[in-house]
Amino acid sequence: MAYKDFRDFLNTLEKEGQLLTISDEVKPEPDLAAANKALSNLGDKTPALFFNNIYGYTDARIAMNVMGSWPNHALMMGMPKNTPLKEQFFEFARRYEQFPVPVKREETAPFHEVEITEDINLFDILPLFRLNQGDGGFYLDKAILVSRDLDDPDTYGKQNVGLYRMQVKGKNRLGIQPVPQHDIAIHIRQAEERGENLKVAIALGCEPVITTAASTPLLYDQSEYEMAGAIQGEPYRVVKAKDADLDLPWGAEVILEGEVLAGEREYEGPFGEFTGHYSGGRAMPVIQINRVYHRKQPIFEHLYIGMPWTETDYMIGVNTSVPLFQQLKDAFPNEIVAVNAMYTHGLVAIISTKTRYGGFAKAVGMRALTTPHGLGYCKLVIVVDEGVDPFNLPQVMWALSTKLHPKHDAVIVPGLSILPLDPGSDPAGMTHKMILDATTPVAPDIRGHYSQPLDSPLGVAEWEKKLSQMLR
Amino acid sequence: MHICPRCESNRSEVVSHSPVKDAWEVLLCPVCLFTWRTSEPDSITDPAKYKSAFKVNPKDIPNAAHVPPIPERL
Repeated sequence: MAYKDFRDFLNTLEKEGQLLTISDEVKPEPDLAAANKALSNLGDKTPALFFNNIYGYTDARIAMNVMGSWPNHALMMGMPKNTPLKEQFFEFARRYEQFPVPVKREETAPFHEVEITEDINLFDILPLFRLNQGDGGFYLDKAILVSRDLDDPDTYGKQNVGLYRMQVKGKNRLGIQPVPQHDIAIHIRQAEERGENLKVAIALGCEPVITTAASTPLLYDQSEYEMAGAIQGEPYRVVKAKDADLDLPWGAEVILEGEVLAGEREYEGPFGEFTGHYSGGRAMPVIQINRVYHRKQPIFEHLYIGMPWTETDYMIGVNTSVPLFQQLKDAFPNEIVAVNAMYTHGLVAIISTKTRYGGFAKAVGMRALTTPHGLGYCKLVIVVDEGVDPFNLPQVMWALSTKLHPKHDAVIVPGLSILPLDPGSDPAGMTHKMILDATTPVAPDIRGHYSQPLDSPLGVAEWEKKLSQMLR
Repeated sequence: MHICPRCESNRSEVVSHSPVKDAWEVLLCPVCLFTWRTSEPDSITDPAKYKSAFKVNPKDIPNAAHVPPIPERL
């Protein structure tokens, strides 16, 4: 099911008891970030927050933690809010296979209500605020950014929709962090090699399905809009930008159109990141904003990011795991059971697989390292048997405790690529990676005492059903 | 003119006034591009109390690593 726009999703959250409105006055700093960090500490079923009384503002409205829990993630997919995580994973994987679903084009959108092309001042237009104490400024961190491949502009899938952190560094200037493993870095390089500015559009306050698709590590030529259609089960609605041949999400609250300035680098950061560390300061590309349009009384969406888990981790958990699952299944269709790459955006990945012969699980681990996402993440890959649920960490720890022999099962591959934000990489962007094979050895890898695995008493399944009914 | 809490340049400028009169201003340092709101805690706004680990020396800014590097023109 599709949500009409961002407000439609917020209304659903409210009806489902998953939106908490804070009407008491709060300070932009530190209250907004503090409330969200506190909420993240309260478990994995938390509501979104809606602030409507912010000190110094007259009519600012800010939504946060919109997808910061498993119930909200389930609602994004139109599923009951209490859907178990593993079921959400397999349903996401099923819909992922429906890709691509062509977009539906519209001529106008609600965000055309108000348009600004003169004297743009983002500090006045958007209720910006600091998240973490060491941040170098105010950031857009849940906006999607649209850009196009300059070498092959007619291939629809090469139009990129991605989530990148953007620091507001002037009245009409943003800094952007283009991690080399991400698609925007390719588009910026193409433009700078030509000495041209790269046209971009930025959308804030979007339906969660496009935010999800934008944060999914799709292949370079796969369209995020066509994936959003697959995930929501009907075509995703887009409308053309005015200054460039770019598609915009119809249901957004605010649109910024602009261009990445060719050959310019400007000091950016630090920013508290999903790794639980600040990023440090570096010189990064700059976006100049030329046009803004927005709905009347726009709702500004923002995301608290910091020490995991925060909204980021719920937002990029399932949709990071599924592409790895599909790509591993392409290589080993009869063996791969499930993939959990939810930990720090897949810096740790847990793969459940059948094993065909001795050494097979290590090959599965090495394939994970060479998937597109694995090239920048997957620093530690844990491989477990088919009967181990990779989303059930106690089961994974049991497998590590009992199946792994460090002499045989810990494989270190030196000198591989990793995203530069990994604080342990040295130099930034380079690391060794490790595969831990926690599967049961099979022939010809004959070792250990694994011939007597523990079974359950007869009748456990019947008792489980009976007792769960009695406990309702 | 205001002192930037982070790099201590004296060139910071007001870029936004609160919609409610006199609640706060947003300032931007053109040297290190730090942004702050005058209503933030003094650990953010006061140069003497700003965390030393996050201070920026203006001399280091031109040497910051380019991410990504600027490619050769084709």
